[in-house]
Amino acid sequence: MHEVKQRPACHRAEDLVTYLYGEASEADVLDFGMHLKQCDACRSEFAVFNQVHDSILTWRNEALGVAFDPRAVAIDSAVESSRFVRHERRLSALAALREFFTVSPLWLRGATAFAALLLCALGTMMIVRFSQKPVEVSQQGTPERRYTQQEVKAEVDRAVQKTRDEIARQTTSPSIPNREKPQPAHAQLATNQQPRTEKSRGLSRQERQQLAADLRLTNPAEEEEMQLALPEQDQQRPNQ
Amino acid sequence: MVELALSGDPEAFGEIVRRWERRIFALAFGMLGREEDARDATQETFLAAFRNLRNFRGEAKVSSWLHRIAVNQCITRQRRAKVRGETALEDEAEKNAAVFALPLEASPARTAEYVERSQAVRKAVSALPPDLRQVVVMKEFEELTFQEIADALEIPLSTVKSRLYTALRQLQLRLQKFGEAESV
Repeated sequence: MHEVKQRPACHRAEDLVTYLYGEASEADVLDFGMHLKQCDACRSEFAVFNQVHDSILTWRNEALGVAFDPRAVAIDSAVESSRFVRHERRLSALAALREFFTVSPLWLRGATAFAALLLCALGTMMIVRFSQKPVEVSQQGTPERRYTQQEVKAEVDRAVQKTRDEIARQTTSPSIPNREKPQPAHAQLATNQQPRTEKSRGLSRQERQQLAADLRLTNPAEEEEMQLALPEQDQQRPNQ
Repeated sequence: MVELALSGDPEAFGEIVRRWERRIFALAFGMLGREEDARDATQETFLAAFRNLRNFRGEAKVSSWLHRIAVNQCITRQRRAKVRGETALEDEAEKNAAVFALPLEASPARTAEYVERSQAVRKAVSALPPDLRQVVVMKEFEELTFQEIADALEIPLSTVKSRLYTALRQLQLRLQKFGEAESV
């Protein structure tokens, strides 16, 4: 390297290089073309540099292949780039999620997974609930009135009172033991637990049947019998 | 794209590699003269780029940034090779590579000349000082314009031209010597 003269043979060395590689403007090409005709040094160098250039190109093509075109690489890259942008947009959420799981610590990953599971479970429960509700409604058909405990108590008291009145009207039997004082429903229920002999001591068969019908303790056949027996009583009974 | 890569998108850096891989390989091949070394240097370049992604200045071009990294990788690699004295084996491997690159119908005399010439060019380019060599490689292998080379190396346009002129003169002398030796 040191053996090479550092000074150019002509002051237009840079122009020579620009001309050699075809980067000179039209005006410069004309101008340097004129100079080449006059300058032996430039002409000689231009010829030799062309040979060097060809030698390097031969080596390059031999090594990288004749089809190698660096400019084509750039064009390919531009096309791939536009493709990449679309691809990247499509996968951005996925990439972000992947990146999140890669970067975040173990506890955060665990917490996220737990939260996701919880959310899934809640979602499933909601779906199940909403999907079952209409089925229940359709199965029930006509809605049945639901009574509270107090309403039931009041209803029972009313039935007992009615029965008592009825019995008082119809029965010829003068004494009905322990019937003046109305019993509360729970007390009556308690009497149901007692032996049959004790419970039915003061009531006739008809009374018992009436009471059972009022409390809906009889089967439909018996009830029908009761209806036949007491048609006017049924009309007064509250619709249950 | 660098911004995407900086934000941690592995696809974005993959795209940078795909886009510049061949050019960087060409540069490395021109700088080092051997395919094996060029592949290693290309890999090291992208590895270094990935590690230094945060140091990338937004105002610079990705190509310039990658070129600088690649040139540095090549120079470092060549220094290491010099220290290890990897020349005899390299020459033999290069000779074999050139023979395989020839068409099968080439005569032995033509083959020998071809191989010698190829080796002479490679050696002549490899013998250039790094600053001259990189300009030659960027011009001849990558076909960059003078302005692109100036931008990549961050040197004035006139410096690029003068370096290329000097490099061509040195190459001319070396190849001339080879021609003289061959004719003897």
